[in-house]
Amino acid sequence: MTHLLTLDNVSLSFDMGANSRYDALSGIRLQIAAGDRVGVVGANGSGKSTLLKIMAKIFEPETGHVEWAPNVTASLLTLGLGFRPDLSGRDNAYLSCLLMGLSSKAASSCLDEIESFCELGSFFDQPVKFYSTGMRARLAFGSALLNQSQVLLIDEVLSVGDSVFREKARQALEERLSPERAAIIVSHNLGQISSLADTAIVMERGEISASGAVDDVLNVYQRSTVSSR
Amino acid sequence: MAPSFSITRYNQQHLLPYLLEFQLTTIQYLTLIDTLARFHLRGEARQFYLGYFWWLLEPALYIAVFYAVFQLLLDSRQPDYLYFLAVGKLTFIWFSKSVVQASFSIETNRGLLSQVAIRKEVFPLAAIQQGFYRQLVVLSFLLVLLFLSGKGQFHYWFWLLPLMFVQMLLISGVGLLAALVVCWHKDFQHLIQLGMMFLLFVSGVFWDVNAVADADVRRWLLLLNPLATLIDAYRQILLFGSLPKTDLMSVLLCQSLLLLSIAVGAYRIFQSRIAVRVLSR
Repeated sequence: MTHLLTLDNVSLSFDMGANSRYDALSGIRLQIAAGDRVGVVGANGSGKSTLLKIMAKIFEPETGHVEWAPNVTASLLTLGLGFRPDLSGRDNAYLSCLLMGLSSKAASSCLDEIESFCELGSFFDQPVKFYSTGMRARLAFGSALLNQSQVLLIDEVLSVGDSVFREKARQALEERLSPERAAIIVSHNLGQISSLADTAIVMERGEISASGAVDDVLNVYQRSTVSSR
Repeated sequence: MAPSFSITRYNQQHLLPYLLEFQLTTIQYLTLIDTLARFHLRGEARQFYLGYFWWLLEPALYIAVFYAVFQLLLDSRQPDYLYFLAVGKLTFIWFSKSVVQASFSIETNRGLLSQVAIRKEVFPLAAIQQGFYRQLVVLSFLLVLLFLSGKGQFHYWFWLLPLMFVQMLLISGVGLLAALVVCWHKDFQHLIQLGMMFLLFVSGVFWDVNAVADADVRRWLLLLNPLATLIDAYRQILLFGSLPKTDLMSVLLCQSLLLLSIAVGAYRIFQSRIAVRVLSR
């Protein structure tokens, strides 16, 4: 089995000021192989998004080691936090393409495909500040779909927008999850995790508290969340 | 499993491969910097009723205010003071505005920073590129004004090109360093703005640095303050029809390259810690 990504005893803490630190991740050990589809669940602040940022090379671990297989790239698909509100959807999509490593020419040629997928109509040429949350999600997902990375890190992008678009996005994602690629999917929607992932992990206070087959892990997680209430 | 190790050891062992793993090539980075700059300028212009006209209006208003104070109220004895002031002030604005915008550019782009593994120099360099585009328009306007008024000297106009290149080097070095220190402590933003105010007064923007009576003081002022040398050089070329002093220009070039080298080195060392620093506050 080819490991695309290995996290070995990875920890990261954030400076909270006044000489206090917050342990966002602690002692994480995880191996991701080609074809893996791993769901990540956990309460808010449990370290799910930080884990994805470590895998995407956005954060570097404070201690421990992250090893990517040669030439493997990992990309984070999130809800367009980087969109510039004064620019149109078209300009933002173009910028997203450049950030994903496309050349200027390739980025321009992708815009029609993104426009068609997003179904934003004339809004595609309007400033993003006039978009609803669902429209921003459509644009974010449409732009991110062109990503060619071997490891896709998906952070809640399937949880917004209307149900028709959510289903369309889920299907589009399913089509792109080839056996050569791996996907790590963070979501509070356990149904989505169950339908897209084969295995799952539960994050709790920066640590992996459970891991295994997706349905077993989700059962454990649901029981623990019910009992904690 | 390998034992845990400190961040210092991690950096020493993995810094070079880590930097090489950033996914974009140099050409792609240059395209991205230019696109970010142009898109930002477009977005900024859309926010204002007068749009791109502010590129000319803002410096013109600054010059009008300074002219009113120093010529009309304080009766400056500098001949053709309006043009003297315009050359100094426009050179200063290019430097100060670019450095200030670069200084908070990484913080401003925290959304992108949290989404993509990208070299953080991209953001200050895009801010500096914006300043360059603005300056091209402003300088063209100034040259037309000098030509029409008959106050300009154009024998050595082509020396503007290397002079602008050196100023870009200086702005890049200072702007990159300013952006990095603001990532560590936002307090530096206040100090940078205060520093710009200080530079405004000691760089000969509204007075002639050659009018300083003490030759030693004048020389040290020019040697220690690259901006004073720059402003004087622009005036020598555009208003007095003479070439800037070679020794001072060589010092200016060395200072700019030194600052830029320090900035590049600092980003190589701190690259991987910038995102955590900015996004965790």
